[in-house]
Amino acid sequence: MNQIREESKEIQEPFQQSPPLNTRPRRQRLQRNGQIWPGYEVIGEKTNLGRQRLQRKEKIWPGSEEIRGNNPYPGSRVKDKAKEIVDDNKSPFRFLGSEVIVDDVQDSVPVDSGTNNMSSYGQKTKPGRQRLKRKEYIWPGSEVIGESGSILTYQKKKLEDLPAKCISRIISLTTPRDASRLALVCPAFRSAADSDSVWEKFLPSDYEGFISNSSLIDKKKKDLYFHLCRNPILFDNNTASFGLEQESGKKCYMAGAKWIYENSGISHRDCKMIPSSAGSRFPEVIELKLMSSLEIEARFGTPIFSPKTNYAAYFVFKFAEFREGPETSPIDFEVYFEGSHNGKKRREFLDPQLSQDRGNRWIEIKMGEFSIENGDEGTVVCRLSEPEPLSKRGTIIFQGIEVRPEYGR
Amino acid sequence: MASSSSSSSCSSSSEKKITLKSSDGEALNVEKNVALEFEPAKGFLEDNSEEADDEAIVVPLPNVSAAVLSELIPYVKQRLELSAKPVQKKLIKAFDDQFTRHLSDDKLGELMLAANYLGVNYLLDVLCDVTADRIKNKSVEYVREFLGIQNDFTPEEEAELRAQCPWAFEGVDQD
Repeated sequence: MNQIREESKEIQEPFQQSPPLNTRPRRQRLQRNGQIWPGYEVIGEKTNLGRQRLQRKEKIWPGSEEIRGNNPYPGSRVKDKAKEIVDDNKSPFRFLGSEVIVDDVQDSVPVDSGTNNMSSYGQKTKPGRQRLKRKEYIWPGSEVIGESGSILTYQKKKLEDLPAKCISRIISLTTPRDASRLALVCPAFRSAADSDSVWEKFLPSDYEGFISNSSLIDKKKKDLYFHLCRNPILFDNNTASFGLEQESGKKCYMAGAKWIYENSGISHRDCKMIPSSAGSRFPEVIELKLMSSLEIEARFGTPIFSPKTNYAAYFVFKFAEFREGPETSPIDFEVYFEGSHNGKKRREFLDPQLSQDRGNRWIEIKMGEFSIENGDEGTVVCRLSEPEPLSKRGTIIFQGIEVRPEYGR
Repeated sequence: MASSSSSSSCSSSSEKKITLKSSDGEALNVEKNVALEFEPAKGFLEDNSEEADDEAIVVPLPNVSAAVLSELIPYVKQRLELSAKPVQKKLIKAFDDQFTRHLSDDKLGELMLAANYLGVNYLLDVLCDVTADRIKNKSVEYVREFLGIQNDFTPEEEAELRAQCPWAFEGVDQD
């Protein structure tokens, strides 16, 4: 390895005369721009190219000898030329092993011997074919490499050579969590792991229905994904929300108190719509006096959920400023598919100690779980009721019922 | 695509043999319909169609070794036979599974590069699926080794990337 590095330094030397080349920053810029494939950094680098050339002379691409010998640029101009190409953010070219991706289309281009005919780059021809047949066909951009003293070679067993679409495909078959981590593997993976094609797959197929009216649609898909994880989108007149669970990209919903009320889900005379306080995602919430007749029911059509997912429903509320101890009162929760209720209830106390803190004094209690297979289960009912007359009364502020994926699936 | 090439010119073409020359100089005889599945070979044959005798044609495949080719050829041959029949997708999937199940990580990578070079997209898709399965929930270091990729990031860059999504690095499988 050391030896290789030294040797590739030798290759660089002619270009380090004036001004001294600081390779590191240049390389970072290449990676940021996502223009150039790793290992094919333009010049002055510890490159795989150098190594390949040293190790595998027999692998040298047909025609590359010609390129090497036919450098149309004097040394100093090579750098400028390369820099120009690199600095040009609009340049659609990326080196990709022995191939080049031009706007995700693999093209190869005939090159007039020695001239750098940029205008012919758009031509579309069958990849692979010219490689075998015609020595005068070389890959676009290879002039740059050739000029800089490196050569275009075939790399064996280097999966960096896979086209970006392959890497994207592999990454898109993992999970958002994996994709976020795989960005660290190498710059090629990073650009694939940030690409729209990957994150489009992680977004639920119907996401556009929720964001069609907002400026979010122009965002990069990855940014949109994380935006939806962190900032659920309100719909139905700001009475319900849609978001994503970060690790899996599965859909999360919250039916706001007002939404449930408007869908006749609250059988309670003494409830009052009030403006929301900090930490609630809805502009309005409902103040409920706890008494024996309280029943809350939210019903969701199962097609809205992500398939093959275990969900749990949470009752989200907080205690009003002056409370008289409703935390000792039992509450029954039921979560079931309509038509297949087995009568099982989950008895909980509205006890802050037993609840999950959501910040700003909002707390949540798990109501129950359900499993979505294909989304054709029908309707899922999330229900809350008071089993017995309360000895003590109190007031709670009801924000809504949130349904989100459970971990583990 | 596979079925059209094999069924249209069934008996005559399948008997014809083409010679493929691997990167390490070995010559392998394959049925013409198999060779036509490889894009570089297909292009080569089209361009040399004036050649009367197919047997005389030697198609150079300078990017694939004989070892890889000799794994690919039986796969493509069987896969062609399968897709020529009106079989269920399930069967093809089972066949693909059987082919990929015992592949070593190295072999998987070699085949992936070869399938990409040869334009055998159905195999490439299968191999991508397998690769994705094998690198799920693995550490970055594991994936680098798995794919034979060198770390091109500086420690600073790496730390920065890690800091962007620390949650993605928690609880990955042991290497």
